[in-house]
This record gives sequence, structure tokens and C-alpha cells, in this order.
Amino acid sequence: MAQGVVVDTTFWGVRAEGVAALERELARLRRMESAHARELVRPIARASVLNLIVFADREEHARRAARSISDLALRHPSRAIVVLVDRGSREGVEKQIEMHCQLPIPDGARQVCYEQILVRARGDVDDRLASAVIPLLVPDLPVFLWWTGTPPLGSRSFGDLLRLTDRLIVDSADFARPEITLPVIARISEEARGRFGLTDLNWTRLTPWREIATAFFDVPSWRLFLDGITGLRVGFAVDMDGRDIHPSQALLLVGWLASRLGWRPLEALAPSEAGGLLFAIARPDGARIMVRVRPRFERGLDEGDIRGIRIQSTDERHQAEFVVVRQPTPRHQTATVFLDGERRWERTMPLPSPAIVELIGEELSILGSDRTYEAALGALVELA
Amino acid sequence: MHTVFREDEVFRIDHYLGKETVQNILVMRFSNGIFEPIWNRQYVDHVQITVAETIGVGERAGYYEQVGAMRDIVQNHLLQLLALVSMEPPAAFDDKAVRDEKVKVMRVLRRIAGDDLPMNAVRGQYTRGFIEGVPVPGYREETGVAPDSRTETYVALKLWVDNWRWEGTPFYLRTGKRLPKHSTEIAIQFRAAPHQLFSREALAGFEPNALVLRIQPDEGISLRFGAKVPVQGIRIRAVNMDFDYGASFMVDAPDAYETLILDALRGDATLFTRHDEVDQQWAFVDPIIKGWAEAPGGPAPYAAGTWGPAEADELIERDGRKWRKA
Repeated sequence: MAQGVVVDTTFWGVRAEGVAALERELARLRRMESAHARELVRPIARASVLNLIVFADREEHARRAARSISDLALRHPSRAIVVLVDRGSREGVEKQIEMHCQLPIPDGARQVCYEQILVRARGDVDDRLASAVIPLLVPDLPVFLWWTGTPPLGSRSFGDLLRLTDRLIVDSADFARPEITLPVIARISEEARGRFGLTDLNWTRLTPWREIATAFFDVPSWRLFLDGITGLRVGFAVDMDGRDIHPSQALLLVGWLASRLGWRPLEALAPSEAGGLLFAIARPDGARIMVRVRPRFERGLDEGDIRGIRIQSTDERHQAEFVVVRQPTPRHQTATVFLDGERRWERTMPLPSPAIVELIGEELSILGSDRTYEAALGALVELA
Repeated sequence: MHTVFREDEVFRIDHYLGKETVQNILVMRFSNGIFEPIWNRQYVDHVQITVAETIGVGERAGYYEQVGAMRDIVQNHLLQLLALVSMEPPAAFDDKAVRDEKVKVMRVLRRIAGDDLPMNAVRGQYTRGFIEGVPVPGYREETGVAPDSRTETYVALKLWVDNWRWEGTPFYLRTGKRLPKHSTEIAIQFRAAPHQLFSREALAGFEPNALVLRIQPDEGISLRFGAKVPVQGIRIRAVNMDFDYGASFMVDAPDAYETLILDALRGDATLFTRHDEVDQQWAFVDPIIKGWAEAPGGPAPYAAGTWGPAEADELIERDGRKWRKA
């Protein structure tokens, strides 16, 4: 008899021997809830608007995801399938997949419950993992695949799961080597065209920065400076000892500007001092733009979060600088415009910093793909 | 058999007919006023009937080698489901009226033979793969199966019911062993709205309405329709309105055989197959079996744990449709 993987059943629910047993258990739980609810004259609905597959290779990530799903259950009741696979394939570890399920009723909910399933695997199960997940999907509902960590392009289970997916959610903030991983995501995005949507939580985090950067050039007299950009600096946060360097968010911002403004690569992304990047890019008229992406320690910021943007530009007569700086407490950002070194305009705005659960919640309401994101990624790949 | 028994003394069991949800097809169609008016070519784009098993041939290899999926599932179960879903309303709920209508449908099933065969019928045979994360052998590796067996373990068909109601509406049927999921269902896929008000972006991920009768497991009925996602602007998402047998009635349905044996004891033959019905079923199935036997090559291979061979996808995708993720 194989020794079971240790699973916390109070959190993940009872173990079921196979898919049929698991469905029976869920049906039993539903019926129990339903009977109980009838006594209280408030029938309970089996609410499921989507299938959500979460892939994690660490228990803490799996739990964090499960808690997010629970927080989201009222907005997006789902059949949530959390797949937890031991990292790497270890020789000698017996291949094993077991399933657990429960029917949690989220806090504050009276009539809705959602279904939570854990698929716990260990050993090298790459060839068979999907066969354990596919039969668990509720037919007819869209399938979201939330891949925590870097998606392993070329892995069979990733490919198999992707074939069922309507929308893939990744978080490039978790990518250890974005210069390698972002092009991988771009390749996935190309393959995805017309088949499934792709989204990156880190892209959603950029939204307020993109909004403010766009707002500068809504002013007619500053609009001309958009064509005369000469320099771009993006700062992003790192931890105190500068070990964890995650420039994905900053790079996406550069990619976005490049794709919107038609900038072309001049030279490859080159690392500069302290984990930053310094390189030149060409405007459509051929002029050079120096781009600097710089890591900086700042208390209270998550690694990889953008700290500030500085856009330098000239028209025929003036030098202009458009600056956005994140202010730590309370969270807000200050946008300033300098003309020939003189401060001309300044405004302070709240800077939302949504938690993962809010980001996911937003993404689950969208099914299509995000062309702007795809274009930004595409531009980045050309640079890399 | 008829030398000893009269036809009304013979009760031919197709246990599918004893299942609650199968009987419910008739109840749903003919006790409700809202479904029958749209149950026709004008509103239905196509119908998909799936009988998917995860099990392999197991210990029945000796029997299965001789019959294959066509005789094991299609001739009886799948054609029964097809008849119940496509038949005209019977004049009464008794054995004669109900079975007369079923026979009428069987009679007008367009025969598939000769050159039509490859375009309308696909056979497959499972090879090694995984079911629920467990490795399983291929069909030819099973005990009792010939290593060069040409027995089909998967069948996909495109059928036409040549009558007034269904002209131009195809029925796609598929069944197989070692498919990823144990599931029997009938899906009525309705036509898209005639004129689409909403942008392509708003409709991303939305598919036309479907009414799904789930026969097993998780017996119930779902209606898929589009709903607005509660955010600013218009985004439309398919949602399911679900009726779950277990949670609504709180009782376990009796076993199909229990139901049927009780009916037989009572002399009620409504849920049993009449001889002319069986004749018609074979009249449809036989030419296909014959065509396959004479055709060069054998069934297309598919890995256990997948939804059948690529040829089956082509069968439906040729028409711009696709198999449901059942």
C-alpha cells in the first residue's frame, strides 16, 4: 500500500478514491447543505460560473490561492481545482495523485457555496497530471488556469491543461528571470491567439501608471512632446540587500510605451550596475531614446513594484520632463511636469495597490485576450 | 422467440430506458409547454449525444472482441437516446403510442453506407494512456484481445433524421471506452441569436444557448445562456442554470433494472424495446459494420484518457462545430 502524501484534511477536506467517489461526496455535501437550508426556508443554490484550475508547486502558494478563491466566492462562485505538485521530479519518489474535496460556504454567504478540490501529486507526474484534472471540470463553464510561478513551456501537463483553458492567468512578478520568461509568455500569447486569453496580474498592477502617463499627453500643449521623447527612466523596488530583482513590471511599462509609440530596438537589453538595465531605443523618426530601468530599495513596497517614471522630451524650443513618483504613506502618487526645469504642473492622486484577490477577481470577469498587453509583450521580445 | 411467446409477452430490456433521467427526457419534452415549440430545425442548430466511459474492456474482452462499441452501445443505448430526443409527441403515454413514434424515427434515419461512410462515421481504438492519473494498457494489450484486433472501442457518427422536424439539423453521436470522463449526456445546441447587438469583444467566450440533459453522473438538466458580467460596460458570459436531481428530490433514484423488472411484472412495455424497433436499429447499424469490415485499415488509434481520435474531431469540425467539453 502506497504511503499517502500528508494532506491537512481540515483545510482541504476528505480524501476521495477517484473522480466518481469525489463527485458522490460533493453531491452528498450539497444535498446535506440543501436539506439544512430547506429547514431554514432558504434554498441553497449550486452556484458555479467558472472552473478555476490553480497550479502551485508549494503548499503555501496553494493555500494562499485557496483563500483568495474563498474570498472571491461571492463574486465568482466556482469549481476550484487546486493542483499541488511537489517541486521537480525526484527519482525514487513514487508517482502518486490523490484528491480531496469540500464544499465551503464563504463568510457572510447564506445561499451560495462553492466547490473546492485539491489534486495533490508527487513524483514525476507530468505525463498523467491532466488526466486527473480533466474529469473534474464542470462542463460548459469557462476554464481559467491560474499558474503560480513560471509556466513551463514544453511541459506536457502544462500543454494538456492549456488545451482546455479559456484564459491563462500568470503573475510575472513571480518570474525569477523575466528576461527569459517574458519572451516565453510572449510565445504562449502567440500560440494563444484565437484559442485562449492570456493575462498577467503584473499588467493589471500597471494600470494606474499607464493611466497617469497617458493623462500627461491629453493636454493639447504637451501632446507634441510625445513625439520628441529622448529619455525614459523607470524605477522599481527591490529588497534591502538587492537580492530579489524582479524588473518584469518595469519592463512591461517600457514594452507598452514602445508598442504604442512605435519605438524600435537599437541594441539588446544590457544589464547595467546593480541589476538595472540601460539601453537605447529608436523613435519612429530614428532618434535615440536612452532607457534606464533601475532597482532601488524602498520600505513598504513589494519587490518589482514601480517606484517612479521619468519621461524626458524636447520639442523645437523647450525641454520637458514628465515625472510620476510613488509616495509611500498613505499610498498615492505625485505627477509633476517640468518645462525648461521649471515646475509647471503638479497633482497628487491616490494609487490603488490591489491585493492578489482583487486582481484575480478582476481577471475572472474577463474572457477575451488583451491586445494592448500582447502588443507590449511583443515589443519587449523584440528588445530582448 | 415468437414461436413460443407473443410480442406483448416479450420484454426486451435496454437498461438505459430504466434510468430516471432518460424517462425524464419524455417528461421534460411533453409535460412542459416551453420546450416543444423550439424543439426543431428552426431553433436547434445540432444535437450531440455522448456516452463516455472511463473503463476499459476489463474482463469482458472475449465478448467485446466480437461486438465492439457499435453493437455494444450505439445500436441500443445511443439510438434509444436519439429516438427519445427526436421523436414526435406520442398521442398517449402507453406502450403502443410511444414505441410507434420511436420506430418512426428509426425508419427515417438516413442510412450511412458506401462512399458516405468515411465522412459520417469514425471508429477508434484506445492505446496506452492515463485515466485519472493512473496508467492503463491499450486495447490490444488487454487480456483476451487479439494483438492485431480491429474491434472499435470508439464510434463517432453524424446522423440525419430525414423528416419535417429535423431537416438540416445534424445529430452527432459519440461513444467510447477509456475516455477522460464518465459521462452520458444529450446536448441540444440552439442557434445563435439572429442578429447580434453586442460587439465581438463583449461576446468573447460566449457560446450560443445549450440545453444539456445529464444522464450520468450527477443527473440533472442545465440551460446555458448569456448573462452580463456585473462590471462597467457590456461583457457577456455563458452561465448555467442548473437543475440537480439529487439536491431537488433528496431521494436516490431506483436502479434502472429495478424499475424495468417492476414494469415487466406489471405488464407495462412502454420502456421496453419492440421487435420492429430493434429491426430498424440493426437496419441502420449493419451497413456501417459491413462497410468497416470491408474497408482497408482499422480503427484510428487514440490514447486512453483523450476524447477519441483526431478523425472524430474532423468529423464535426468540418461543419464548423466542435464536440462539447462534456
